[in-house]
Amino acid sequence: MGKPKIGIYGLTGCAGDQLNILNCEDELLKIFDIFEVKSFVMASRAKDESVPLDVAFVEGSVSTEKDLEELKKVREKSRILVAIGHCAVFGGVQSMYMGCEAWMERYKKVYGKEDAVTISPPLEPRPLSAYVKVDAVLPGCPIEKEPFLKMAGLLAQGVIPKNPDYPVCAECKWKENECLLLKGEMCLGPITNSGCGAICPSHNIGCIGCWGPIEEENFAAGIALLESKGYTLDAVIKRFSIFGGTERGEKLAKYIESVKGGCNG
Amino acid sequence: MDRKINVEPIARVEGHGGITVTIENNEVKEVRFDILEGPRLFEQLVIGKTPEESVSISSRICAICFLSHRLAEIRAQERALDIKIGKKLQLLRKLAHFGEMIESHSLHYYLLALPDYLGYPDAISMVKKFPQEVTGALELKKYGNKVMEIVAGRRVHGENLTVGGIGRIPTDEELDWIKKRAKELIIEIERGLAVWEKLDIPDYMEEEMTFASVWPEDGSYDFRADTIKISDGTELPGDEYKTLTNERVVPHSFAKRCRYKGRPYSVGAQARMLIMQDRLDGEALKWFKKYYNERWHKNPHYNNVAQAIELLFCLEHIPEIVDEIKKTPWEDAVEGRDSGKGTGIVEAPRGLLIHHTEVEDGRVKYADYVIPTTQNLDAAELYMRNAVENLIKQGAEDLELPLEMIVRAYDPCISCSVHLVKVIRK
Ligand code: SF4
Ligand code: SF4
Repeated sequence: MGKPKIGIYGLTGCAGDQLNILNCEDELLKIFDIFEVKSFVMASRAKDESVPLDVAFVEGSVSTEKDLEELKKVREKSRILVAIGHCAVFGGVQSMYMGCEAWMERYKKVYGKEDAVTISPPLEPRPLSAYVKVDAVLPGCPIEKEPFLKMAGLLAQGVIPKNPDYPVCAECKWKENECLLLKGEMCLGPITNSGCGAICPSHNIGCIGCWGPIEEENFAAGIALLESKGYTLDAVIKRFSIFGGTERGEKLAKYIESVKGGCNG
Repeated sequence: MDRKINVEPIARVEGHGGITVTIENNEVKEVRFDILEGPRLFEQLVIGKTPEESVSISSRICAICFLSHRLAEIRAQERALDIKIGKKLQLLRKLAHFGEMIESHSLHYYLLALPDYLGYPDAISMVKKFPQEVTGALELKKYGNKVMEIVAGRRVHGENLTVGGIGRIPTDEELDWIKKRAKELIIEIERGLAVWEKLDIPDYMEEEMTFASVWPEDGSYDFRADTIKISDGTELPGDEYKTLTNERVVPHSFAKRCRYKGRPYSVGAQARMLIMQDRLDGEALKWFKKYYNERWHKNPHYNNVAQAIELLFCLEHIPEIVDEIKKTPWEDAVEGRDSGKGTGIVEAPRGLLIHHTEVEDGRVKYADYVIPTTQNLDAAELYMRNAVENLIKQGAEDLELPLEMIVRAYDPCISCSVHLVKVIRK
């Protein structure tokens, strides 16, 4: 068996996840040694899109017809497709819940009209899983180097890794930080995927949720908790929406409908 | 002969761009730098959010210059809300900013740009022939990242620097390490700078250019100011940035375009160095004098070497910044008001970056961001057109690499140029 063939692709995002792969300075040469890197346009002019891949890492949300086309092509030729980064896994900040106004309305405000830019029709930003089967996810905005290397190691051995399913709070407790919520600060640790090592609370800064919503989040309880600390419902909803992606967005819309009877524009 | 050249996606730039050139009867009909990256509508995402949230959101515009976005937004918010910060925090921001320049410039100069001049598809393939330069590049990059990790909280999208404050102040040990390592790495960048001497710099695109950058009020070569300077001598207060930028929409790009007095202009390390050259010092000044010539004013390739010289400048100045941070006592910021307008101007590694904000009762009401790559797009198209016209005359076969090299010289962060947009106020 030869080296596993991989490709690293970017759809619409900030390229932070690809950058953090390039940021594996000490391990970069090794990565290029263990894997046969067939496509990584952010790093190399040489690429070969004609061969099937063992693993494709895809960053970014699907935000144009072109993104979608590329994603489908990559999916077709790859045995394992890994969504890397918040944009790919949840939709990214560009997919956050913004109240009543439809996405196309916001788009038109910016570009004047629907077809002012003709290069590739825009789509409302969505995560990869809205369109194709995703075999594994690596959340984070952006992903961190250590979980990426761990995952790459497992994939090299043919194992499809699973992510931890506990929240940032657990990591924060291991670090023996003083809880920011108890100090009255807005922290989304309880409803956010772990993986970052509770970086922000360890810097005395409330988590804004950039690893995305944990699977079985109890956000109604989260909202109630923050309201009891004196934050308004509106402020809490806004904070929850930033890294909530499309899925939490839908839940938030329903929740607001149920308590307010409207969509909280 | 009719010919259509399509380069897409352009490799070794961050984000999705393409070049389309149409040639009919040996005449250039069209040269377009297409931006294919999808729109993210950042200026709307921050509406209704708190100043703090708007800092976290807008820093996601770009990974490589997230810190510049963060500092521009923080500055915009602090001006809008009349928040006054102390000297120690100023210096910490400056240190983090220097870290970002080092990281970004080492990535671009060595890993993204040099392979073209030396004839390689990427930096990894350069290892055999240039082992010291490539490992040196990775060391420099790692160092820049480490500085950001220590001061800004993470390598990418760190949350430690906030409006009016900082979550955690770096320890003396961390600061001492930053200082010591800066001195050790000077030799690495000088080795990298030496490579430039042997390169042939193409001239088939040359044309006189207008440049713009920040103009620090304290007379230093720095990356933050409230004044913009243009190479025609004009000085603009930050909030009059629109006099320079004049953004407009074009059909082949989700990124808007900028022109000054109807003409393209350039921003970036080359622009900064031309405008602030009298403020350079130390070894950086010596290297500038060694490599400077008249062609700097009309050839974007010099942006690459300007980045390398700037990287050296940053390493040379970090020790004194660290010393000052250590001896300056902490002062809390003085809170201002909860409504107002403000413009934050910084230099991102790729050039002038502007964040404008309007806040009402602690919530953002309006935002406008002007990104370096947006400002460079028209200039890049102009140079590409010149290149195609001249190369056809010379009968050149390969037009793709020369065009890609022009685009890469600008070190475009395409993802960040897309969002760019004006919000119509309700
Ligand atoms: S997840 Fe975050 S870091 Fe990754 S592309 Fe999206 S905005 Fe950038
Ligand atoms: S603590 Fe929260 S906001 Fe900070 S990096 Fe981790 S997940 Fe992201």
